[in-house]
Amino acid sequence: MPFSTQSHSGGEQYVLTASLDNARNLSSLLRAVHFQDHATCFATANGLRVTVEDAKCIQANAFIQAEIFQEFHVQEESVMFRINLAVLLDCLTIFGASSSPGTSTALRMCYRGYGYPLMLFLEEGGVVTVCRINTQEPEDLLDFNFCSTNVINKIILQSEGLREAFSELDMTSEVLQITMSPDKPYFRYKISLLKPSTKALALSCKVSIRTDNRGFLSLQYMIRNEDGQICFVEYYCCPNEEITDAEL
Amino acid sequence: MKCIIEGGNLSLRAASASRSAFASFLFAPLFFQRYEPGPPGARCKVLMKSFLGVFRSLPALDKSVERCLLLLRLRAGQLVLQLHCKHGVTRTHHLAFQECEQLQAVFDTQCCASRLRGPAQVLAEAVVHFPQTLAEVTLGAGAGGRIGLRSHLEEGSEPGKAMVTELWLAPDEFQEVAVVPGSRITFCLKEFRGLLSFAEASSLPLTIHYDEPGRPAIFTLDDPLMEAHLVLATLLDPESDSQPPPATNGISYPPAPSDDFTDGLESYMAALESSACEGEAGAPPSPTFSPRTPCPAESDRMEEEDGAVPGTPPHKKVRDGH
Amino acid sequence: MRFRAKIVDLACLNHFSRVINTIAKLAKTCTLRLTVNKLYFILSDRVANGGVSMWCELCQGNFFDEFQMEGVAADNNEIYLELMPDNLSRALKTAQSAKAVKIKLTNKYSPCLKVAVELPSLSRSSRIVTHDIPVKVIPRRLWSDFKEPSVPDFEVSIYLPLLKTMKSIVERMKNLSNCIVIEANLSGEMNLKIETDVVSVTTHFKDLGNPPWASEDECQSSARGRDLQSMAEARIDIKKLQQLLAGQQVNPTKALCNIISKRIVHFILLHEDVSLQYFIPALA
Repeated sequence: MPFSTQSHSGGEQYVLTASLDNARNLSSLLRAVHFQDHATCFATANGLRVTVEDAKCIQANAFIQAEIFQEFHVQEESVMFRINLAVLLDCLTIFGASSSPGTSTALRMCYRGYGYPLMLFLEEGGVVTVCRINTQEPEDLLDFNFCSTNVINKIILQSEGLREAFSELDMTSEVLQITMSPDKPYFRYKISLLKPSTKALALSCKVSIRTDNRGFLSLQYMIRNEDGQICFVEYYCCPNEEITDAEL
Repeated sequence: MKCIIEGGNLSLRAASASRSAFASFLFAPLFFQRYEPGPPGARCKVLMKSFLGVFRSLPALDKSVERCLLLLRLRAGQLVLQLHCKHGVTRTHHLAFQECEQLQAVFDTQCCASRLRGPAQVLAEAVVHFPQTLAEVTLGAGAGGRIGLRSHLEEGSEPGKAMVTELWLAPDEFQEVAVVPGSRITFCLKEFRGLLSFAEASSLPLTIHYDEPGRPAIFTLDDPLMEAHLVLATLLDPESDSQPPPATNGISYPPAPSDDFTDGLESYMAALESSACEGEAGAPPSPTFSPRTPCPAESDRMEEEDGAVPGTPPHKKVRDGH
Repeated sequence: MRFRAKIVDLACLNHFSRVINTIAKLAKTCTLRLTVNKLYFILSDRVANGGVSMWCELCQGNFFDEFQMEGVAADNNEIYLELMPDNLSRALKTAQSAKAVKIKLTNKYSPCLKVAVELPSLSRSSRIVTHDIPVKVIPRRLWSDFKEPSVPDFEVSIYLPLLKTMKSIVERMKNLSNCIVIEANLSGEMNLKIETDVVSVTTHFKDLGNPPWASEDECQSSARGRDLQSMAEARIDIKKLQQLLAGQQVNPTKALCNIISKRIVHFILLHEDVSLQYFIPALA
């Protein structure tokens, strides 16, 4: 169902064009980071990264690498804009949220650059939907400065076990303490900030939990999409407080 | 709502905030795999919400939990619930408890004039026909030993607004029917449903003891390892038994239904039609009649349509309704 | 005045329940009109409803094994009742395995439709559950309020796309906007559009087909001589459209709509034995 890339009369080209045979390969990943309505999209030749933040303490990133798309062109070195993620998701799932067997929505995404809306062309069963979503000035993103050399605890596990554990937690509590090492310090995190990460956990097959020497938490989720391709979602979270005495 | 645990034999009890419902489950030591009694008279209360949170998903528990340990740590003021699961996973919940007064409803099944015993399934299948939002239901003894259930309309609710559901159960559906003829009680359906679903799931027979309206109704489940009681307050009979009721519950309990009803429908309609011409005076006292300024009877005839073409959508002209 | 009816066949009962469920989703209160051959569920154009009106017609013979109706008078052999269809829906909900369902108009303390459901039971006798559904009897002089609405003098008439597809789209659009534009032409093309400050979304349907209306000899329809490409459009409350689509439990045999620009959209959904017309007025 190719849509031809349109060159407009002014000779302007799109700075970002991408095609996907199955829009769910994008929408399901974006859902995993949808805990605030606004997201920052960042595209390079390597692919697309969508970032959502809250309270200056938590950041989630969804990575959809260029290979996932059937076509992915970025004209400049990088393209960045802010967009309403709830609206974007409603548009990507316009033909229905859940998968009906054998049907999929094809997607073409085009962006002309700063100040222009994001254009989406979606098609399923011969029906075409065109969306124009206004974009905004990108805001500065947090840099958690999380680097692997400072990681002191790392655990990789099958998501199922962690899913069960998280489902047991009383989400109305204030903090969650994750104890990985026999040694102190043990760090705590505001549970309300971590709650959205359960969406990514639900989709993932493997998860890696890492903390660094400052107690910053990194959760990385490996997600397999409908075509068997691997994508990643990561969450970063600042610690709530440091406790020196083990409780209980 | 709090859940109360007493040492000696473990018993779980709860009462509603308005004190109109009380439930207690008493477990024999043999109910458990291993049982070490605590100090006699030990009593604590924990938040129901926290307790239920531990057992949130029964199918998930069935799948993964191998053993469950319940430990009362009096000095630490904690009830510890520890679930030992597959793959070496242990889930430990510490619930803070408070000291509490004794919680015991005063009731005596011996004082109840009426008794009904049968499989919970029969009653569970019966209550399914009542709307989920219905607050109270009336249970009554009818002619021929039949047991009836009927929606109770709340005080002050407009008559002729709410749907009323009623059904009858034959005496042979119960194991024992020893009830005062014509007796009836009205109690909270929601709480009754709760007990019924537990009883049905455990396939336990249910006994209902009741007396006069206003006195509590007692529901018990028979099981060798556990004693379960639910005590529900019942409504007092309204005084207005003598008047023809708009609300259906002030009357003596209707007998088993037959196909012939004496309707006043014909005369009602005649009164309705004639009052349209005469004005308000003489309108029937039905509360459902909404007064309008009378106007002369209109011609009701409408234009006939011509030659409908089969297979096409309806014609534009107004059609006679026949 | 008398009404008694009985359904014995389970398939008919299920079908009837589905129709009632659909009506219950569209109207909190509506008028039930009973004639010798048909039942009608009517909602007339009222500001409280946002000007929406509904006309649903069933042939009683397709549902009931017994049907006896004696109207208000010999020359007005019909009965008009006001009721809450949700009550009827709930009464039928637990009747799905019934041996028989009887419906009767009674007036013991106030007018009611008594629904008696006979269910199989383990005991010797059947279980009978009765539901008394309160109704208001509508006197003859008000019957003119419930005339069948005439098919409007539309500019475009077009078959609807697959309702399931339309439903998904409208549900998503409802998250984005309060109103939706439906436009269509006589070349089988229809667009659904929403537009706000943040986003605009247009869905294009093609090759839908335009129904052939039998033309009246003298009537000059607004559709006659119209440019085939020209779109008729109306902006309507998206919630009303979503309610109509959400209420459909079975795919209709025929589904179409008639549009008068800026005035009204008239939906017609036809099944084998039920027809439903739904009018949604355009927003100012």
